[in-house]
Amino acid sequence: MTEPPLYFELPGSLKGKKFFSKIEKKLLLQITGQHYAIKTFYDTFDWRLYRAGVVAEHIHSKDVSQFNLINRKTGRLLASDSLETAPNFAQQFSSQALKSILLPIMEMRALLQVSHLPLEIYRANILNKDEKTVLRLQLDDYESLSGRIHLLPLRGYGKSLNKVAAVLQSDLSVKPASCSVLPEALQLQGREVKDYSSKFSLKLKPDMRADQAAKLIFKTLLADIKLNEANTITDVDTEFLHDFRVAVRRTRSGLNQIRGALPETAVKKYSEFFAWLGQITSLTRDLDVYLLSYQDYRGVLPIAMQDDLEPLYAFLKEKQIKAQKNLAERLVSAKYQKGLIEWEEFLNKQVSKKAKANQGNLSIKALADQRIWKVYCKLMSEGGVIDDQSPPESLHDLRKTCKKLRYLLEFFQSLYDETEMKTLIKALKGLQTVLGDFQDYEVQENNIKTFSQEMMENHVGGNAILAMGVLIQHLDAKKRDAREHFSDQFAGFANQDIKRIFEKLFFRKKV
Amino acid sequence: MKIIASYNIKGGVGKTSTAVNLAFLAASHQHNTLVWDLDPQGASSYYFRVKPKVKGGGKKLISGRRELDGVIKATDFEYLDLLPADFSFRNLDLALDANKKPTQRLKRLLKPLADEYDYVFLDCPPNISLLSEAVFEASEVLLSPIIPTTLSLRTLEQLKKYIKDKQLSHLQLMPFFSMVDNRKKMHKEMMQTVVEKHPEILAASIPYASDIEKMGLERMPLGAFMQKGRSLLAYQSLWTELMEKME
Ligand SMILES: Nc1ncnc2c1ncn2[C@@H]1O[C@H](COP(=O)(O)OP(=O)(O)OP(=O)(O)O)[C@@H](O)[C@H]1O
Ligand SMILES: [Mg+2]
Repeated sequence: MTEPPLYFELPGSLKGKKFFSKIEKKLLLQITGQHYAIKTFYDTFDWRLYRAGVVAEHIHSKDVSQFNLINRKTGRLLASDSLETAPNFAQQFSSQALKSILLPIMEMRALLQVSHLPLEIYRANILNKDEKTVLRLQLDDYESLSGRIHLLPLRGYGKSLNKVAAVLQSDLSVKPASCSVLPEALQLQGREVKDYSSKFSLKLKPDMRADQAAKLIFKTLLADIKLNEANTITDVDTEFLHDFRVAVRRTRSGLNQIRGALPETAVKKYSEFFAWLGQITSLTRDLDVYLLSYQDYRGVLPIAMQDDLEPLYAFLKEKQIKAQKNLAERLVSAKYQKGLIEWEEFLNKQVSKKAKANQGNLSIKALADQRIWKVYCKLMSEGGVIDDQSPPESLHDLRKTCKKLRYLLEFFQSLYDETEMKTLIKALKGLQTVLGDFQDYEVQENNIKTFSQEMMENHVGGNAILAMGVLIQHLDAKKRDAREHFSDQFAGFANQDIKRIFEKLFFRKKV
Repeated sequence: MKIIASYNIKGGVGKTSTAVNLAFLAASHQHNTLVWDLDPQGASSYYFRVKPKVKGGGKKLISGRRELDGVIKATDFEYLDLLPADFSFRNLDLALDANKKPTQRLKRLLKPLADEYDYVFLDCPPNISLLSEAVFEASEVLLSPIIPTTLSLRTLEQLKKYIKDKQLSHLQLMPFFSMVDNRKKMHKEMMQTVVEKHPEILAASIPYASDIEKMGLERMPLGAFMQKGRSLLAYQSLWTELMEKME
């Protein structure tokens, strides 16, 4: 026999008491509790919990205040703790059960309130003729949504569950529902779940004029910039700035890569503006990265030395606070606001009948073919000449070319076959990781050297400097590791299968 | 998982009341608790309003053809479940005897529940039989209610001898006085002399009280219909002492 549903939605007109008076005609019922509560849903800005199949809710009433993690599909309670308010970050939860679920999913992202719902919660028992409880029932009577019934089966009373589930559906026309009202709650605010992702996604039509398509791409990126702006300023978590910067970088790269499609003066002006934005945000991001890596840094030290590193944390934190303050001031400055508004106006302006720029009249597909093929060829020739003796700069240049190609593939993904594009992006990703590591470890190594000098001038104790020395050694070893892996990774990308896909998708014979 | 038997050779001494009320206390401390009603009379099933019925009867259950897991019923109280009695349990001796190593049977049947329950209370029928032997083998603690009379004293001595003869060294015998009437001079005197002879008798005792009788009307454990009172306190101290003494 199939399991009966446990969650039901009441018809809109069937409210609290009325439901019970109806069901009392069919079943022996005892209401055991009734109280007013506020239900608050939480998730990270990029919906990490929802995507992982978890719903986080906080129930607040006069007597109880409880934070629950629930399996979105089954409604099963995964973990719960009585908490007055939910902390911002996973590692701040005192309950181990909550923390161990949240930390791997949320990582460094902050928990944000997504929706508030006032409701009346009723609890009731269904009894048999011996007045033994055979099923428990909860009615969540929402003020602004239709009520929800949750049946809580009791062991050994499966028959009663079947019977009550049948009565609800046949006699009360109550319909089975999903276990969480989160999607409906968001609908009330005109929102939906997963309405933000840091992944670039835009559907383009192949025959769209290139200048028009370019503006669409930039508008999508501008939306990301604006969505992340406020929480970057208030530093809710590090990833707002990260996503903000990614959108800025994509915009810069786009301006450079598809420059032929837009008027030259505009390209020049806004390239400068976004270069400035990249520059004023970079110090804070760098320091964020060091602070996020701090636990890993500790981990590479012998246990006896780990605490010696603490002065570095304090040093970084102080710098980060200063940098963040500077950044926040810049992001409310007239220069920033003027630049962004003008950019938006430029993007919103209708394109003229005939494009002003020389490539503006091409179809976006033709332009995309051209650009991607060109950058791919550049990447292959740059990468092909790198051997074990090549200087670090050649790898850094290749890293930049990879990034250009990556952005192009993402911008134009919708114009090509989905699985083939995924294959290409995945192959490129592997290469990018190795190049990124190589560069990151080098930068970290150098910067930690600089920090240690600064700290010595500030008379920080010798143990900290010693610990940083060990750390620098470790980073250097990691850097050399990455360098050694380069040729394998490049060979993986340069292989014939990948090349054939690039050719098939993007190479056009000149006519 | 600790298995605690509520047992006495004699009938009507408070075995069921003890099992039911202590199980309720264990559950109210959020320990996952199971009561197994082994008495065909089904008194503890009655107190929890669960039908004294097991599909397939005692034979299937004891043979292992029906798993205990599928027969367990939730009570009205959180953390507290019941394995109901069945009229066929009057033949549990026969059912046991049909198996290899009959005295090891209960222990084996309960094993799969070890992760699920912290405490299992066995509510036993009176008399010494194959079933009681199987109960002794399965249990860590033998809680035995004793009415302070000369006759009960003899049964305690019988029980102690039996445990010794059968070499049940894993079993902790914990006798305690039950249905104690403080107005009866005889009870007081008996208790004093008996404790001298049997120092293992627990300090906690259960008074003779109409509250406890009332459980039959209410069909609930004492703590479910009373918030305070002498009888409730007595069961609480019995529980505390049991917890302290349990190895
Ligand atoms: N402390 C007590 N004070 C008053 N009455 C009691 C007390 N303990 C038990 N009783 C009553 O005595 C009767 C027998 O008690 P109970 O069923 O607990 O004993 P038992 O040993 O399990 O009996 P049986 O051998 O029939 O299974 C019941 O009616 C019960 O309500
Ligand atoms: Mg009994």
